[in-house]
Amino acid sequence: MSEADRPAVVLPRVTKGKRPSFFEDRSLDQMMTFIIELSTEVGVMRERLDTVERLLDSQGSVTRAAIEAYRPDAKVEAERNAWRDEFLKRVYRMHPAEQ
Amino acid sequence: MAARAESVAVPNIEELFQPTHDERARQSMVSMLRKRAIIDLRAELKRDYESRVEPALRARDAAPRNWRDIERAMENEESYRFYSTLRYHAQEMCYLSVQPAVERALPEMISLAKDLAVRNPSGGSLRLAPNFEVPRYVTVLDVHLAPGWVATEHTADDVAQGAVVGFGGKVFTGQHPYRKRAGVVAESIAHWLKATRPGFAPRRLLDMATTNGKNLLPYKTAFPQAEAHGIDCGAPVLRYAHALAEHEGIPVHFSQQNAEHTDFPDGHFDLIVSSFFLHEIPVKATRKVLRECYRLLAPGGVMVHMELPDEASVSDYENFFWNWDTINNNEPFYTSFREQEPIALCSEAGFARDKCFKLTIPDAASFGEERYAKFLRGEIASPAHGSGGWFVMGAEK
Repeated sequence: MSEADRPAVVLPRVTKGKRPSFFEDRSLDQMMTFIIELSTEVGVMRERLDTVERLLDSQGSVTRAAIEAYRPDAKVEAERNAWRDEFLKRVYRMHPAEQ
Repeated sequence: MAARAESVAVPNIEELFQPTHDERARQSMVSMLRKRAIIDLRAELKRDYESRVEPALRARDAAPRNWRDIERAMENEESYRFYSTLRYHAQEMCYLSVQPAVERALPEMISLAKDLAVRNPSGGSLRLAPNFEVPRYVTVLDVHLAPGWVATEHTADDVAQGAVVGFGGKVFTGQHPYRKRAGVVAESIAHWLKATRPGFAPRRLLDMATTNGKNLLPYKTAFPQAEAHGIDCGAPVLRYAHALAEHEGIPVHFSQQNAEHTDFPDGHFDLIVSSFFLHEIPVKATRKVLRECYRLLAPGGVMVHMELPDEASVSDYENFFWNWDTINNNEPFYTSFREQEPIALCSEAGFARDKCFKLTIPDAASFGEERYAKFLRGEIASPAHGSGGWFVMGAEK
């Protein structure tokens, strides 16, 4: 980000209060942040690709401005939600518990 | 010319929020991640408990006696660890996913809110208290993992936290089946009040801890003759709420006040409401707020607080589920509030015991008129709190 683009006010990204630990080793809590953020970014990239494909289908060319201006209609948004749902179910699936 | 000037639409502060393509995509992913945790994995957690963990405890003659026993039994189980970490991250990422777009929009948002606070084009008002003392219980932790929560001011005339909490909340509820839009709690309570109290026409109404006012505006629509007031401790959320109400064309008088002791005269209101409020403050403060409600209500007036179901109203397992937020969502008073009996809380504040109530009412947006009529006749129950119903407590004066 260039100096000119830097916002006048930068909001805090860290929460006041003790961060809980859900694992015996806190490294795993940290590792989960990396994994969850990365999987979210996979969804973001997939959506960008989907926008590019839809623009190419409808108008045969694509520009960054067209990607930014693109707004999915209800049908496209429903398809995207179904993909997100399936993707997150697939990635965050639990092993069957041992009896 | 004057008429023409009046007809110019009041700009919408929310339209200044313009996330990029990828920021929108991220927000949508976080909404679905939240749904994966709070709907899917929550159900898997319960199945794991009922089918495996609880039978194993019983087999060892160690059946859980209360929700804390369940928590102790579950906290080292993988189903609980991963449900919790996904739920925690989905919560945290709601706010992170909207902050960059709020930062870009902030200068314009502030200038719009300032202008509307001077002009009041829809007839509302904004009254902030210089040197207002925000209670420590509001500032010591970032409730809901929202950095800055409702009262932090990052710059002069700041509205940032109004936008962060509002848009972050939209990401939070984006895939929630019963919270598709803001304001559904107020719509549901207003609907219930009108259905159960024909002719009820409050002259003035007050929403406590109104935040961005989205659960205040529907009351003004339901009771158009009422003068509407909203109070909160946070200046940024009040500035934001005022700008939103002015855009909606709904006159609301917002003021920065502590609900424990307001500056309104005795008997000033016929209706006092709040939503998602009392469990965020110490029980001692809740008692003061309820006493203040008693003072502020005129005879025949009603108070309705949408709240979490109290501990005695639900099963041990549900208590284990609800109380997760106490430690993990920076809501330190959650468990101690839920330990109180709502009728006792209200009657101790001065209300006659037989005028106090607690019940779960249907979500007005999703329940349907036909079923609602059956609910009113006592033929069917409301769905549970958060699953198509809303738990409310309150009293008539």
